[in-house]
Amino acid sequence: MESLLNSIGQKSGIYDFMHTSWGWPTVESLHFFGLSLLIGTIGLWDLRLLGVARAIPMTALHKLVPWGVGGYLLNVCTGFLFVVSAPNQYLYNPAVQIKFSLMAIAGLNILVFYRFAYRPVKAAVTGATAPVQARAAAAVSLACWIGVIVCGRLITYFRPPYHWCFWC
Amino acid sequence: MVEALIWLEETRFSTWMRESGPAFFSSLVFHSIGMAFVTGIHVATDLRILGVAPGVPRSLMRRYTPVLWASLVVVTVSGLLLLLAYPAKALTNPVFYFKLVAIAAALRIMRALMRGLLGDSRHDAAPAPRKARILAGVSLALWAAVITSGRFLAYTAEVMLASHLLY
Repeated sequence: MESLLNSIGQKSGIYDFMHTSWGWPTVESLHFFGLSLLIGTIGLWDLRLLGVARAIPMTALHKLVPWGVGGYLLNVCTGFLFVVSAPNQYLYNPAVQIKFSLMAIAGLNILVFYRFAYRPVKAAVTGATAPVQARAAAAVSLACWIGVIVCGRLITYFRPPYHWCFWC
Repeated sequence: MVEALIWLEETRFSTWMRESGPAFFSSLVFHSIGMAFVTGIHVATDLRILGVAPGVPRSLMRRYTPVLWASLVVVTVSGLLLLLAYPAKALTNPVFYFKLVAIAAALRIMRALMRGLLGDSRHDAAPAPRKARILAGVSLALWAAVITSGRFLAYTAEVMLASHLLY
């Protein structure tokens, strides 16, 4: 895995681009903008389901969510640029491992939400409280994305081999 | 100036911010979370003004201001703590002042929008006027600039501590 990612980074020129004086911080800035887009749309949607800004009609606010998906995709792309430029710093990093696990939980939570909670949300009248299963999914979503930010910020503190964790 | 910075960075609190470990990285973590909500709420409001999610009554975007205020407190406190950890690192870097000016301008724009277009629900039915759309676009650009300059601060600093300037 590490050598595959390494060769992708080296052969594509991504490694060289990322290690110019402005490459890494520029991609980081895009990554931060993507996360702001995600929190600003999906985070505000979750907050609405949890009871903040209850006057906003839920179905109308849901139109912001595709912008959050756009932010997510931007971050998958920019995140890929980081990982292929220094694979060993990420693959064996406990902060990255927890971050990816939280992303997987958030992904499963999306499936659960649209399978079990979206229909009653669409049927709810303006100003209504979201149904309990929607509130639960919103709480999981918000907790996961905040956890993703926390772990993302901590990556630099858990760089191998100077790290500790019980499974490393 | 250098003496003042040296005095500041040698205070017990500043030294603790640098050397304890958790104090510094938990400030970074809170700064990131606060940034996500401050920028996120601004971006969502700007997108709404620019015509996204037209079913959301524009004035109701103000219902998120309590969350915005709480996030502004978090970014400001964590930002001040990070500044106290390495005062000379930021204060000797022009990028830091650019970031502060961009934040001030972006907050000023949002205040004007909140009091004007978003302040009266009677405006909700009509599309946003051209001037408000331009302000929303400028606001988006300013937040992108704030994020970028914040990130570049770590890469453009010429000194970490003022005491290094003596040698």
